[in-house]
Amino acid sequence: MPPDDEGAEVDDLERARCPTGIEGLDNILNGGIPRGNTILFTGSCGTGKTTLSLEFLVHGALAGENCLFVSVTEASEKLMRNVIPYDFFDENLIKKGKLVFVDMPVIYRRLGMTAMELTLEDVETLVKALGDLVDELSIKRLVIDSVTSVCYRLKTEEKIRNFILKVGKTLSDRGCTSLLISEISPSAERYSLYGVEEAIADGIVLMGNLERRGDLLRTLQVVKMRGTNHSRAKYVLDLTPAGILLVPLLKGGSGGGT
Amino acid sequence: MPKSPSKLADELAELPPSAIALSIRDDTYFDAIRGVVDRFATKKDLNTIYISAAIPSQSIIDVLKILEIDMERIYFVDSVSHTMMGSTKKPENVLLVESSTMLENIMLKVEYLLKKSEGKGSVILLDSINALAIHNSSTILSEFVHILINNLRAKNAYIVLFSIEGFGSEEINNMMGFVCDLTLDMSEEGR
Repeated sequence: MPPDDEGAEVDDLERARCPTGIEGLDNILNGGIPRGNTILFTGSCGTGKTTLSLEFLVHGALAGENCLFVSVTEASEKLMRNVIPYDFFDENLIKKGKLVFVDMPVIYRRLGMTAMELTLEDVETLVKALGDLVDELSIKRLVIDSVTSVCYRLKTEEKIRNFILKVGKTLSDRGCTSLLISEISPSAERYSLYGVEEAIADGIVLMGNLERRGDLLRTLQVVKMRGTNHSRAKYVLDLTPAGILLVPLLKGGSGGGT
Repeated sequence: MPKSPSKLADELAELPPSAIALSIRDDTYFDAIRGVVDRFATKKDLNTIYISAAIPSQSIIDVLKILEIDMERIYFVDSVSHTMMGSTKKPENVLLVESSTMLENIMLKVEYLLKKSEGKGSVILLDSINALAIHNSSTILSEFVHILINNLRAKNAYIVLFSIEGFGSEEINNMMGFVCDLTLDMSEEGR
């Protein structure tokens, strides 16, 4: 039988959550994402992945955590404009460095990664650079948008597996809860473009567009989440100035979709 | 004899936050609206969220203006206007839902307005269950009403569901009787 204090520590670990600040999602996850988890947020375009990840960071920054958004495809300045309409957004979060945006192409350039295909050595260097950034800025929440674009430069399954495993471990070791944004086509029958990311991530949240009698509904479903019980039902979401809102999908009208 | 708006407001005010099915007719429609959004909401210091599924919100707003009802605290979730493909202009207190078949989006807009109300009490008026029944099967409509009412109960809100006398199917009437706490009738006085 473990000593009492050890038992208490295990209890604390089990309870440690990173609340997303999105009320409906935190309810689905029984309080939030288990701290240190690396979660794949996957879906086709226009499903709200980037918006959700930005809100996750804004709530973290408001709660006093340092947050980092690594943008791979879009310029940070353009992304920043997306958080300003939130009622709860405070510009001081950016000014005070609680919410930091970094463009991945800048990291590539600084590391001298000019070739279109990255090597296994580059993967090591890239993961180390991300780890250093997390250490330097004491980051507790991180988003990579999108990991699919990083994988595009890795090409092989071995390198993708290596990258996801190492990035997940590096961030988890630092107590950093991370969202990896993954893009899939609406007809995809798996959760990531390369099929590797989904097997390694601690959690998978699938975001989709459900077509029902000509209406298009944005949906969210937590498919997997290590370290917590969670609902696996499908929810309908709305992107509002008060943040993302979720309600259960009415089953009487369910008619397929992604 | 039709019930007066004040009488309706008095009856509603005696209740704790509840789900009330309100049976109305053409000739009691505007008295019922006035009773809920003006007399009752004022009496209990509530915001009103008016789900307009029967006629466009602008028509209701025009009537409320004629009746000189203060609209400072009345917000609309309108599932009719968008399908009419009319003017793109809409007043600030109106949220549009693309169609009356998007029942989840109606719930989401109500949720948004409640979130914006920052804890102030609210009455949600659904006008009407019969209008939604035109566009939705009774199965999905029952599911919608059940979830909506339970969500609102958890938030301590009043919900009044208009039911047009003589136009509800037996299935819908049974469902309303099952999920609502009480049924009131705008025409019951003098019966």
